[in-house]
Amino acid sequence: MTLAAHPHAVRPLRKRIADASEPYLYSAPALILIIAVMLVPLVLGISYAFRDIQLLNPLSGGFIGLDHFRALSEDQAFFRALRNTLWWTGASVFLQFLFGLILALLLDKPFAGRGLAQALVFLPWAVPSFLAGLNWAWLFNPVIGPLPHWMHALGILDAPNNILSDPHLAMWGPIVANVWWGIPFFAITLLAALQAIPRDLYEAASIDGAGPVQRFLSITLPFLAPTIAITILLRTVWISNFADLIVVMTNGGPADRTQIVASYIFTQAFRRLDFGYASAIALVLLVLLLAYSMLIVLLRQTLLNKG
Amino acid sequence: MASIDIQDIRKSFGAFSVLHGVDLTIRDGEFIVLVGPSGCGKSTLLRMIAGLEDVTSGDIRIDGKRVNDLAPKDRDIAMVFQSYALYPHMSVADNMSYSLKLRRTAKEKIASAVGGAAAKLGLDPLLERRPRALSGGQRQRVAMGRAIVRQPKAFLFDEPLSNLDARLREQMRAEIKKLHGDLHATSIYVTHDQIEAMTLADRIVAMHAGVVQQVGTPLDLYDRPANLFVAGFIGSPGMNFFEGRYLVSGDHADLRLANGVTLPVPRRAGIESGATATLGIRPEHVVLDAHGALEAKVDLIEPTGFGIIMHVSIHDVPMKIFTLDRAMLDPGPAVRVDLPQERLHLFGTQGQRVE
Ligand SMILES: Nc1ncnc2c1ncn2[C@@H]1O[C@H](COP(=O)(O)OP(=O)(O)OP(=O)(O)O)[C@@H](O)[C@H]1O
Ligand SMILES: [Mg+2]
Repeated sequence: MTLAAHPHAVRPLRKRIADASEPYLYSAPALILIIAVMLVPLVLGISYAFRDIQLLNPLSGGFIGLDHFRALSEDQAFFRALRNTLWWTGASVFLQFLFGLILALLLDKPFAGRGLAQALVFLPWAVPSFLAGLNWAWLFNPVIGPLPHWMHALGILDAPNNILSDPHLAMWGPIVANVWWGIPFFAITLLAALQAIPRDLYEAASIDGAGPVQRFLSITLPFLAPTIAITILLRTVWISNFADLIVVMTNGGPADRTQIVASYIFTQAFRRLDFGYASAIALVLLVLLLAYSMLIVLLRQTLLNKG
Repeated sequence: MASIDIQDIRKSFGAFSVLHGVDLTIRDGEFIVLVGPSGCGKSTLLRMIAGLEDVTSGDIRIDGKRVNDLAPKDRDIAMVFQSYALYPHMSVADNMSYSLKLRRTAKEKIASAVGGAAAKLGLDPLLERRPRALSGGQRQRVAMGRAIVRQPKAFLFDEPLSNLDARLREQMRAEIKKLHGDLHATSIYVTHDQIEAMTLADRIVAMHAGVVQQVGTPLDLYDRPANLFVAGFIGSPGMNFFEGRYLVSGDHADLRLANGVTLPVPRRAGIESGATATLGIRPEHVVLDAHGALEAKVDLIEPTGFGIIMHVSIHDVPMKIFTLDRAMLDPGPAVRVDLPQERLHLFGTQGQRVE
């Protein structure tokens, strides 16, 4: 029985296959590109977490299963870094948001020179993070920076010391730099959202009897809520991964007091050159952030459905 | 309910002066309609009464109390915006009860006030909806409901019906009139629409370029317009005007047009012989008569269904005639007309009405 003997039975089958695969063939180039660019590095990175990869050990590279994770579950430095990450991210995001919101509310009111002020607010955002880190490290340095002396004069510090070398205060250094650096992001996005609120709603509310606080609570906040949710989500993920300032200003010290998970990964990978262990930590951080993002997205969905 | 007293109100935005001394006394329960061309300052005046714009100079009194420096919320007035300005994130019921909640009104009272207003406006089935799930007419009703639940001292309306289609506007106009009949609330209503102004107003305030031109009942403004502006603004199609020189000879008077034609006019004491003057007559008052004194060349016929607007010219001066006579759909090249003396309006050199 040859194919030629049953041309009518075969051709539809071949055609069916061709038809069925047509959409996949069309989308294949794009899909292959996306997989190559996004998924391959991700999968490779994840695979490192299950392998013993140490740059200085040419014999390493073998598959070791969950050994890294077992080690991680007993790594006190990791748990300290996790707590520090919470502290670093929470304080930075909260303060950036708070000041960004205040700034946006101020910039929303008309005043002379508003255009210039809006342009200036953007400035910190344009400063490279390493430069910002160096800058703030110097500002906190009592030898060249004024801040310790001012804080001493105000009674905040007992002596004009460098807070970056004080284990109890060190984390505040990078947080302050981060807040300074990140305010523009919130200010600009919130300002755009503020300016999209129709003015006559405020007028209607003030005629209805609402004072400034009530207008803020019953009009501004509901209108800003979706923007707030999405910017906080973005910034939280970004900041918890953002080790530049810490690496530049304190390098995780003193005594690991400012070590966050991201800088701990950096330390493991590039100081201890243990890529496998670093990947395992990164994987844990990834899972935690995914869980957090899901939570926020769900929250936003329920908010929007209710709204 | 309250009276509103406006004394010599002026308003400038920077160096740009918008209102030039407006005086207006509104009696308790009166329905005042503000009309005037776009940009003449109607909304600005309304917003100053509401407290949304600062007063540059002059006094506004509500119920005898000076309110210039009171915040909008302390003036106890309600406003219906052209855009409705409903709170998009609140249900219809919450939109209507917001002002009462802010005033910490008891729950049962709020429920009964909202229920009452909803019943009046036919909003009962919509109370749980959001504004975005409503039609334009329904939103308009909610905006009205939000204003009436509170029983304020006065209502301010800024072109509340201008976003509705013609049919709905007619219906809402009647409803507003009925509502005012029920509530007898002091109201100030801004509109571009002649018919709204004529049908709703107890008194109309005609404004032009920041100055009040005339205040009076709708028929006052129609029958005895105080000046050329009001004469031309009230009525549709607009009044016909003839410019010329007022000349008295013996016991009768004429208006001599620039092209030499004379039209007989009634003698008036308020104007000197030889002065420039303008004669006005409404299109609906021109009489078509085969034995009329004037010949009018027919330029254009506009049938409106109800009647016919004829564009004609008398000695090359254009004029409009409004007639119900269907025969005029095909009047031929020319018709003869009369301008009845008792229907003529005469305006002096400054455009003021002369009697
Ligand atoms: N905030 C403002 N700044 C500067 N000029 C303004 C401002 N608000 C209004 N004007 C000007 O004041 C004049 C009157 O405006 P207003 O809105 O009162 O007109 P209106 O009579 O309501 O017109 P319309 O019938 O088109 O609504 C206009 O020339 C307008 O350009
Ligand atoms: Mg207006």
